[in-house]
Amino acid sequence: MSLRDVVVVGGSTAGSTVMRDLRRRGFDGRLTLVDPADGTNRPPLSKAILAADVDDGSVLIDHSTLDVHHVRTAATGLDLDARCVATSDGGTHRYDALVIASGSQARRLAARGQRGEVVLRTLDDARELRQRILASSSVAIVGAGFLGLEVATAAARSGAAVTVIDPDPPLHRLLGPHLAGHLVRRAVAMGISFRQSTATLVGDPVGAVALGDGALVEADLVISCAGDVPATDWLAGTGLVTPLGIEIDAAARTTVAGVHAVGDAAAVRSGTSVRRAPYWANAVTQARVAAASVLGQHVDDPIVDDYFWTEIAGVSVKVVGPLPLKGVPTVLEDAGDGHGVLAWDGRTVAALGVRRPVPKLRALARDLVRLEP
Amino acid sequence: MRILADYDRCEGHGLCAEQAPAIFDVDDEGDLIHHFEGADVPDGQVDAGRRAIDACPVAALRQA
Repeated sequence: MSLRDVVVVGGSTAGSTVMRDLRRRGFDGRLTLVDPADGTNRPPLSKAILAADVDDGSVLIDHSTLDVHHVRTAATGLDLDARCVATSDGGTHRYDALVIASGSQARRLAARGQRGEVVLRTLDDARELRQRILASSSVAIVGAGFLGLEVATAAARSGAAVTVIDPDPPLHRLLGPHLAGHLVRRAVAMGISFRQSTATLVGDPVGAVALGDGALVEADLVISCAGDVPATDWLAGTGLVTPLGIEIDAAARTTVAGVHAVGDAAAVRSGTSVRRAPYWANAVTQARVAAASVLGQHVDDPIVDDYFWTEIAGVSVKVVGPLPLKGVPTVLEDAGDGHGVLAWDGRTVAALGVRRPVPKLRALARDLVRLEP
Repeated sequence: MRILADYDRCEGHGLCAEQAPAIFDVDDEGDLIHHFEGADVPDGQVDAGRRAIDACPVAALRQA
């Protein structure tokens, strides 16, 4: 089959990287992007964009040099037999190869019909949240993961009294006791309080959080930071969607020939395990793999790139290697105050509170694996 | 093509230097070194430069 038409659904980090790599690898056929909006580079949304009134247009991704036909409507359906993507404007877009990069959406906690739930996923969400934070003297955040703690940091910096609520210990599930403990102490020192409890949004519009013991946390602003779910409604009936997302193999292929998936909507199957790790670095590496795979070229990038970073309570963390982190790390470099370069289990390296470039951390992680008996 | 770097936003991830080593370097402290600050990148480096812009996880690079 000659490859003339490639359709990419979703133009944020994963989709735009696919398109750029297709062109870089010599694809000169028709490239169609289906996305109602401009692509967004999301990591700054919960950091720089919340922190200050910056030029937020800088997070939008420029597709103008890629010779791509941008269909600015939402994908509404996929016909695998006809190899066609349907869009909300009534259009259909035939493909020889399809790359699904439709991402995910914020997991919502509000009851059916309950209005006013605030989440952070898009640039518009971030712009609105920044204004709401500035206007609030108390903020309650449901969810003590990375996003919840990044948002808590921004709210505490703007002077609000911040309470973070989660049934699990903050940051603990992925970062483990050592890193989570350090970051939570820093967060408490900047005035953030933590409540370990189930949480139910209360009010219409939402204005408080009910805890498991019946206590009520009232706040000017309640924000749900409860993770994300793959945006795959438009794929209903195709058989491509599993509870974890769209399963792909090491070449970013789905179970259907000619259909690839990348980024937050995708879950990587490896042997009998399936893992969705919706982080920026995975979106990029999966996209590079998919571009090679679509063109039938040799795939030279890994399908998983375990690189992840955050900044919480003024402490930056960069982690290279698999999560979760368990137990006590080895200190490779001590910068004082608990900061430095740390290693776990001979395979994961973290820079805590010190700036270290990723290539250097990658090299350290590779050395650890080599030294492992 | 000219590439503008926002040094305040740069967090020293160093992914630009992986994509475009002839244009960018990041020192051991994670500080960005832009070899073509205020100048056009050479014609042969334009593609690598665009990849570096895409590879920046904090959107600190943009085409002028």
